[in-house]
Amino acid sequence: MSWKRIKAIMMHEFFITKRSLEVINDIIIFPLLSIIIFGFLTNYLSGTTGLIISKQVLIGMILWQVINMTEYSIAVGCLWDVWARNLTNIFISPISNLEYLIAYTITGCIKSFIVLLLGGIISFYFFGTNLLDLGLINLTIYFINLAFFGFGFAIVILGLIFRFGTNVQALSWGLIAVLQPLMAVIYPVSILPKPLQMMAYLLPPTYVFEAARVNVIDKGIQWQLILMAFFLNFIFIFLAITFFNFMFNQSKKTGQFARLEG
Amino acid sequence: MAVLEVKNLTKKFGKFTAVDNISFSLKEGEILGLLGPNGAGKTTTIQMLLGITTPNSGSIRYFDKDFSTNRQECLQIINYTSAFNTLQGRTTVWENLFVFANLYQIDNSKEKIKNLAEYFEIKNLLNSQYKHLSSGEKTRVNFIKALLNDPKIILMDEPTASLDPDIADKTLSLIEQIKQDNKISILYTSHNMNEIDRICDRVIFLSQGKIVAEDTPLNLTKKIETTTLRLTFDKGKKIIEKYLIANKQEFEFNKDNIVIIKTKEKLVPKIIFGISSEGIWMTDIEIQKPTLEDVFLQISRSK
Repeated sequence: MSWKRIKAIMMHEFFITKRSLEVINDIIIFPLLSIIIFGFLTNYLSGTTGLIISKQVLIGMILWQVINMTEYSIAVGCLWDVWARNLTNIFISPISNLEYLIAYTITGCIKSFIVLLLGGIISFYFFGTNLLDLGLINLTIYFINLAFFGFGFAIVILGLIFRFGTNVQALSWGLIAVLQPLMAVIYPVSILPKPLQMMAYLLPPTYVFEAARVNVIDKGIQWQLILMAFFLNFIFIFLAITFFNFMFNQSKKTGQFARLEG
Repeated sequence: MAVLEVKNLTKKFGKFTAVDNISFSLKEGEILGLLGPNGAGKTTTIQMLLGITTPNSGSIRYFDKDFSTNRQECLQIINYTSAFNTLQGRTTVWENLFVFANLYQIDNSKEKIKNLAEYFEIKNLLNSQYKHLSSGEKTRVNFIKALLNDPKIILMDEPTASLDPDIADKTLSLIEQIKQDNKISILYTSHNMNEIDRICDRVIFLSQGKIVAEDTPLNLTKKIETTTLRLTFDKGKKIIEKYLIANKQEFEFNKDNIVIIKTKEKLVPKIIFGISSEGIWMTDIEIQKPTLEDVFLQISRSK
């Protein structure tokens, strides 16, 4: 593995981001707007449902951006090169799949961290909710778990794009939103109908959001929930990497990879 | 010494065989042309040589190393340029090249980019966004990208497609210069026969996924025996017609005073002398020897 090649892809991503208003819009403006809108909503709710619930909603929404950003950054980052017909150039260099994915994961985490930081500042100064009240260790654990899931989800999407072409590219920014209601981001899992609760508990982020809600009241680490999130994440990422490798190899067998840019 | 050795390479897409058991080699410092009509399997072959399409069977060896098991090592010493792939349009030329220099782990990459930009006379474009360059400028930048890692082999897939004749000519001169200065081996595909004739040391013809001819451009044209003789004359159309029929020649009158005769090369002097002996005054004689294009058309149409 070469750090220089990983750094090259990270620089590439940085160069694209700084010159693309739509990327800046997608990774900064939209997430922060969501946080602001939910901030006002929680201000309104705090008068009717109480301060705790409104804080839980806002914190859920801020943490959601970690999954969203990591997933978006990896999946759409790759698409920029497909659209520019530059992907072949990258993949005929000596870079390995692992180096490529690591580079995008790091940039995804950096973007997520920036959004988390800005979201945290906004929520603290404008809506009186301090993310650090969750506890720095808790927050770090949540970030790692959510970023892991975002990474895993993104490479599943990338696998589908490599295998089936840009016809399925909309999944990059659309499919994660479909899972959002199941992950119980802003409400407890118990609100969901029983069959959906079973599905919700198959998703690692569900445990993170549940733990974060508890943390709003109790600062302690929710080991049972956290360990379950890590356990499911490891299974999910193992399956996601296996799926990606299979789809990538299939894509090269069927010739779809070479046709991606056509 | 063969720097690239392809043996029994086959690629099937479902029931369709795109590349059918082809074997060839590329020698050090050689430019090898890969020719064939659309769908002949040229691009699929290039894709397999780059590792972005997996062959069904056969082997690819760069410098005697198996490509499938030494992917990174092989990709470090080859590169690729094509009119159909571009660099990232949003970023500047320098940013694009800097990224690729790092992907190929080039030491002193800034110096290298600067030197190549000077060589290709695009130093003033380094800070321009790639998408704002003209086709000719993009081609030069693509060549720089293809030379960043000091490759031993460059695969070029129709690099002059979409270029105007002037820029295409300059590009070919650059390729000739690159070959001369760096002793690089080049695998070159194009539909332009004049280009192939000009720069290739050897040519492989592909048709329906198979190699149907392989030789130097000159030897390939020699395989076509027919030469076209174009005679312009003052008068005496009937006399010429009678003479050519009597001598069993294939001909047609282009105009009343121009006849086009397709004949064997060795018979050309005899025909000219014979017509002249009939008292015909010829104002212009043009002998068109077979070109690579004739070879291409003959092969393409014989499938």
